[in-house]
Amino acid sequence: MAGKKLVSLDEAASLVKDGDTLALGGNLLYRIPAAFARELARQGRRGLRLVKTAGNYEIDLLSRSGSASSVVAGFVSFEAEFGLAPGFRRAVEEGRVSFEENACYTVIAGLRAAAYGVPFMPVAELAGSRVPADRGFRRVPNPYGEGEVLTVPALIPDWAVLHVQKADLRGNGVIHGPLFEDVLMARAARSVILTAEEILEEMDEGELDRALIPGFKVAAVVHLPGGGRPGACPPYYEYSPVEVAEYLYAAERGELAAYLEKVRP
Amino acid sequence: MRKIPGAGARLGYAAPELMVVVMARLLSDATTVFTGVASYLPVLAVLLARRLYNPDLVWLNIPGRVNPAPSRIPRSTVHPALAEGGEASLTLAEIFDLSARGELDVAFLSGVQVDRTGAINLSRIEEGGQLKVQLTGGAGSALIYPTARRTLLWRAKHDTRSLVERVSVATAAGNIYRLVTPLALFRPGKEGLELESIHPWASLEEVRAATGFPVGEAPTTPPPRPEELRVLREIDPEKLREIEFS
Repeated sequence: MAGKKLVSLDEAASLVKDGDTLALGGNLLYRIPAAFARELARQGRRGLRLVKTAGNYEIDLLSRSGSASSVVAGFVSFEAEFGLAPGFRRAVEEGRVSFEENACYTVIAGLRAAAYGVPFMPVAELAGSRVPADRGFRRVPNPYGEGEVLTVPALIPDWAVLHVQKADLRGNGVIHGPLFEDVLMARAARSVILTAEEILEEMDEGELDRALIPGFKVAAVVHLPGGGRPGACPPYYEYSPVEVAEYLYAAERGELAAYLEKVRP
Repeated sequence: MRKIPGAGARLGYAAPELMVVVMARLLSDATTVFTGVASYLPVLAVLLARRLYNPDLVWLNIPGRVNPAPSRIPRSTVHPALAEGGEASLTLAEIFDLSARGELDVAFLSGVQVDRTGAINLSRIEEGGQLKVQLTGGAGSALIYPTARRTLLWRAKHDTRSLVERVSVATAAGNIYRLVTPLALFRPGKEGLELESIHPWASLEEVRAATGFPVGEAPTTPPPRPEELRVLREIDPEKLREIEFS
C-alpha cells in the first residue's frame, strides 16, 4: 500500500468529478491548494461547489475558469492593495456563480455537523443578520429549555483539498503553523487529497505531534513544492505580491488560459 | 492613493494616526480583544494600547495564538507572523465559540455601509431587490457583532455612501461600542449613532455633508500626544496604517 497514494497532480485532480463539493484548506493567501486549483481549471472541471471560510485566489480563479458554480464562504476578497476578488465578484453579479454567503462561523458549524456525524449544528443566534434567512437556516424549539435554537445543516464535502508542509507515503499529513479549518475539513469530508511541500520517509516526534491528518482517509498525495504559490507556505516561502499581481493582470485582460499554461504546476 | 483626511492640515499627524490612537484609547479597560481579516488599523491599535494603556490586554486573531508579540506587522492580517511570540493556541473556530459564550469583550468590525443603528453591510448592494454590487461577505461579523460585549467599528472612508440611514442588507448588527472614521467618532445614543467628537481637520458642516443621517454638535477629538505618535511610528515604521486609505 505504501507509496500507492503518491500520484501526479494530474492524477489527483482527475479524482474530482464535475459537480463535486470541495472544501479548500488554508486561509486567504496562506497554505492554499493553489496549484491544485489551477490544475482543476486546466482539466476543465465544471459545476464545483467550493467551501471555504475566507478565501481569494483559488475562488477567484475557479470562478473565472467556469469550474465553480457555487461558493459557500464567509469572505471572498484579497487584502490590502489588491482589494476585492474581481473575477469572483463579476461571476456572481452576472449569475455564473451562486454565492452562498455564510458567516465564517456557520461554515465551521456546517463542517462540524458533518465531522460529528449529526444532521445539523445548533449555533448561537446571529441576531440582526440577514445570513440565516438568506441561507434558509432553520430554528428548532430548544428541547431542554425555553425558546428556539438556530441550526445550520451539515456541510459534507466530497473532498477536503489541503496543501500541507509535509506528508508521508501512507498519506499522513503534517501541518506546521496555523491550522485554519484544515483539520475540521479533513474530518467532515468524505475523502482527502493532499498536496505537500515535502514527502517524508519517516517522521520524527515533532512531526508526529503535528500529523493531524491521518492517512487512512487520504485518497491521494501529490509531492508539490511551491503548490501554495502565489500564496505563502511558511517556512518554505512567503506570499508573492508580484505573482498575485501577475495573476490579476493576466486574468483581467482575458488571458487566463495563457496564465494557466505558463504558471505550472 | 486618495487623499488622506487631515494630511493637508500640517498637524504632524493625520487620519490614520488619529484613528489608531482613538481606538487604542478605547481599549484601555478591555480584557480580551479580537481582530479579523483586513484589519490593519485595529492591529496597530491593539499593539499601541498594549504598550501604553493596557499591558494585560489579551489579543486574539485569526492565525490562532493567544497574545502574540509580532516582531513586524505583515501586509496581511491573517499572516502567521501575527502568531509570533504568542503564549498559547486558540483557533479561529474556538474564538467564535468564545464569543458565542459571551466571553469576548471587544471586537473590531467594519462595513462597506454602516447605518444609524450601527448595522453593517459587507454582503451586497441591492436595488429594487436586485443584486447591484457583490461585496466581500461579512466574514465572522454576523456572529461576533451580536455576541461580543462591545464592538468597535471603524471605517477608513466617511461619505454618504458609507454612512447611511439604512444599510441595503444587514450582514450583522449588535452591540456597538463606538464608530471611528477619518472625520469623527460616533457613539450609540437614544436615536442611534450620535457624534461624540469631530477630528481637528473637520468641521461640523463637513461631517454633516458626509453623513447619511442627522448629527448634532460635538467637541473636537483630543489630538494624539507626542508619546502616542512616537510609539505608533515605532510599531509601524512601514506606515501600513495608510493601506486602508489607498
